[in-house]
Amino acid sequence: MKKAVLVQRNEPESEEYRNSSRLQELKELAESAGYLVIDEITQTKNPDRNYQIGRGKTDELSWIVAETGADKIIFYNQLSIMQIYNISQTCRCETIDKFHLILEIFATKAKTKRAKYQVELAKLHYELPKAKTIVSLLKKKERPGFMGLGSYEDSYEKDIKNRISRLRNELGRMQKDYDNLRTSRHKKGFSIVALAGYTNAGKSTLFSEMVDENVEVENRLFTTLSPTTRSFQVNGRKLLLTDTVGFIEDLPHWLIDAFKSTLDEIFLADVILLVVDVSEPIEIIKKKLIACHDTLWEQIEDAPIITVLNKVDRISEEDLDCRISEIEYLTPNPIIISASEGTGIETLKKKVFSYLPVWKRKDVQLPISDSGMSIASWLFDEGIVHNIKYTDRIIVDVEARDEVINKAKAVERKLNAYGHSEDQL
Amino acid sequence: MRDIIAVDISGRHRTSKGHYYIVCAAVSLSVSPDHIEKIHQVNTKAFRMYRPLKVLDVVHIIERTVSNIKREGVIVTEKGDMYNKPLSFVSSRFKDEFKYQESISERLAVQLAHHISLSSRKLLIQELEKI
Ligand SMILES: Nc1nc2c(ncn2[C@@H]2O[C@H](COP(=O)(O)OP(=O)(O)O)[C@@H](O)[C@H]2O)c(=O)[nH]1
Ligand SMILES: [Mg+2]
Repeated sequence: MKKAVLVQRNEPESEEYRNSSRLQELKELAESAGYLVIDEITQTKNPDRNYQIGRGKTDELSWIVAETGADKIIFYNQLSIMQIYNISQTCRCETIDKFHLILEIFATKAKTKRAKYQVELAKLHYELPKAKTIVSLLKKKERPGFMGLGSYEDSYEKDIKNRISRLRNELGRMQKDYDNLRTSRHKKGFSIVALAGYTNAGKSTLFSEMVDENVEVENRLFTTLSPTTRSFQVNGRKLLLTDTVGFIEDLPHWLIDAFKSTLDEIFLADVILLVVDVSEPIEIIKKKLIACHDTLWEQIEDAPIITVLNKVDRISEEDLDCRISEIEYLTPNPIIISASEGTGIETLKKKVFSYLPVWKRKDVQLPISDSGMSIASWLFDEGIVHNIKYTDRIIVDVEARDEVINKAKAVERKLNAYGHSEDQL
Repeated sequence: MRDIIAVDISGRHRTSKGHYYIVCAAVSLSVSPDHIEKIHQVNTKAFRMYRPLKVLDVVHIIERTVSNIKREGVIVTEKGDMYNKPLSFVSSRFKDEFKYQESISERLAVQLAHHISLSSRKLLIQELEKI
């Protein structure tokens, strides 16, 4: 694992609570990008033009890097190209900022072509101002009469701009392929439940609390889904739960589309679990909920949302009641849980179950033959077999979605009509 | 469930004749957080202006349109319709309760009002051109 040191410069007179929650978020992001966070340093002062943090603090940072053998320095604050250069030189370590980190995460999460293009576009937007700086720095040094370099460097910026407009055109032409994905998945008979919500709300904790341990999902069936997908069961129904990147606070506008494209899994889901940290100050809860609704409303189609009010263990009962009524208009189907203490999980699962498409229950009679056996085992895969009896035939009491029952019934008629003769099938 | 009145205004652009045909649509609905549960009433009203709209004009137009709605409800609009002014500034200028769209259902409701005001205005302009 790559080792990272986090650095955060805070504005003088900013709220301590907000600052520490931002640093926590940065840590979460770094971890989900696969870094091991080995140290965190913060400083409260106005920004330094050359180093973002103070010169002395930069030296301190370079000692930490040398001592710990860190592979990367990650700043919460946005860095200029000058600052990146100066810090990397002083600390002898690659330095990036939060936006660069977010781009790294999005790049690994982008599965569809559309998502990849969106991330590429955001990257170019991130590089553009840096290209401008490089060009103007080089121009200052440029000697009169030395024409070649100037025109070459100008073309660097122009090149980025060209690529941006080309990607935009491509994206405009691309259709979202949700419909195809949705149908092919439903054919396989799975319902998908997706976790949405801000970073740090408790999505991953809830994820491991809900899924059945040691059950790997067959990846080849779900190549469009992220590796963070596992199965779980409610009343015999098999479901897939998928964890997502999560919403990130204060995303700049040029990152929004790339962010939305990483949410494809949410828009494909049959049920969405919107996880909220209900122990945060009420104004922050509201602000985050509004941002979630804003991102979700146009694309969720008819998928029901269950609002998961998490971390109830951190607040009193009166406090909770008060919060619930204040956010009622923003919280469809609220369920109260504590993911870390494991309370409310069963109620949540039952709620999810209540939103699944209804399955039919029928008896299917099959001959005792290879074909009959293979249909029976197919029914085990596709539905819930409540009972199976072997008499002169196989009688399967099965609950499954319409198509499965219909197909089984058709096969039943066909097999029974042909009697026990195998080869005519 | 809560009752709201979603409102949208179309026609802030000057017409070829040099003035503004504005159509305001108000929709009275009951909503849950993520769904529209019932649509009770729709009212549209047309206005002609000879200068661009200011925030107070918009407030006036909305109040005139909403006055024909029978059912009580918080007035909900998109922030852009109020020139992105802060909520406290705008709501203090309304006699009735006012808020910006927040939940999914409020956004759906405002979208509905938007389609109504847009299509009503189109119809209005078509008919005026025949005269
Ligand atoms: N007190 C408390 N802490 C929780 C609960 N659920 C999660 N956490 C903590 O909140 C932090 C963020 O959780 P995580 O699942 O990583 O959030 P994610 O970013 O949404 O995936 C972790 O430190 C968890 O231990 C809970 O129910 N109660
Ligand atoms: Mg997580």
